[in-house]
Amino acid sequence: MTEDNLPCGVPFDEILDQVTDHRPPRDPRHQATCPTCRATLAELGDVWSLIDELAAHPVQAPTHLLHAVMDRIRELSAQPWYAVLTTPQGDTKIAARVVGALARLAAEDVPEVSLALGGGHHSKDQSLAEVAGPSGEAATDVGVSGTHVVVDIDVIADLGTHLPHLADQVRARIHQDIASYTGLTVAEVNVNIVDVLTTERID
Amino acid sequence: MRTPLRDNLADRVTASMERLPQPARGSDRPASRPGLRAPSHVLVSLARGGDEPAFEELMRFHQDRAYLIALRLTGNPHDAQDAVQEAFLNAWRGLPRFRDEADFGTWLTRIVINSCHHQRRRQRPTETFDDTTPVSATPATDLIVEGQQRHRAAQQAISELSLDQRSAFVLHIFAGLTHAEVGRILGISESAAKVRTHRARRAIAATMHEWEES
Repeated sequence: MTEDNLPCGVPFDEILDQVTDHRPPRDPRHQATCPTCRATLAELGDVWSLIDELAAHPVQAPTHLLHAVMDRIRELSAQPWYAVLTTPQGDTKIAARVVGALARLAAEDVPEVSLALGGGHHSKDQSLAEVAGPSGEAATDVGVSGTHVVVDIDVIADLGTHLPHLADQVRARIHQDIASYTGLTVAEVNVNIVDVLTTERID
Repeated sequence: MRTPLRDNLADRVTASMERLPQPARGSDRPASRPGLRAPSHVLVSLARGGDEPAFEELMRFHQDRAYLIALRLTGNPHDAQDAVQEAFLNAWRGLPRFRDEADFGTWLTRIVINSCHHQRRRQRPTETFDDTTPVSATPATDLIVEGQQRHRAAQQAISELSLDQRSAFVLHIFAGLTHAEVGRILGISESAAKVRTHRARRAIAATMHEWEES
């Protein structure tokens, strides 16, 4: 069934494409007179009709699916700056700024990272509430939703470090620390390498 | 409470359309799509800002295709529902990072496929369930039962494909996407998408041939 060429020399794939794409034959005159081609065509047509039937079968999303999603989103949106761990004994809320601080410390544990910014770090002209709070969502580098967190972190690397490798190390370390310290799921870690420093500049 | 929210959505769409630049000529963002009550890019922009009714409207438009893809990729309705729910929640979480120049449908489909892959890793090996309504056993239903058996066999053949081949095949054959669109979603070239689909077809034809003979 899967030989490269039929005995008449026509490639098997040509007939397969004709059947599966419902295309006209490449050489209609040959096909009209060649029993091998016609037999293969009939056999493949029969086999492929099962896939065609499945493709024609109408599929609709269950009606409750979107309701369930939107209920969950409304629940999550009620507390956007906290991650929430729900247990039968009660809820544990972890502020985004805590997750950000853990991410920054985890990144700084990687030897070639000179400094990690954001995610709980704040400049002098910002208050902590603006970094991770109800009015400061855009200012924080950590997004939390239920038990999932997304971390955007800016790091300054040592000059001479292989940067893609460094980013992978930072990512792995953040995943590991946040999971082990908070029990939250890290959905995404985006590492922005914003500068490189020489040893002299660090000193 | 839902109706006033919907009315407000119409107001917000109008206000947002005045602020947002119109899609460029030749852009893959159509100004509006049949079935959507507001231009897609306006709803995306509102949803990115946390507008839940706008997000709901977008998901309502995309949910049937998302579920179809998930159903054919996972092979059973329970996993497909879980995968689509997870994908929509991830889309909500990821919207602030969504880059508007990419087509929203492409982005969402990519998330659905990833969710299906995660779903598969979390769960038992794929077991193909019937996705059709059960029918009572009477002689008159023989044809329906036979049809269901054929559906199950076809779905089983799809489930036996590798994840890479299955994704390309499902997007091309069931979602009706071109190889270029399949390539964009899977992050591969158009020719690589073509090769994956073709290999999937060969494998499925061989499996179905064996099933018919048995």
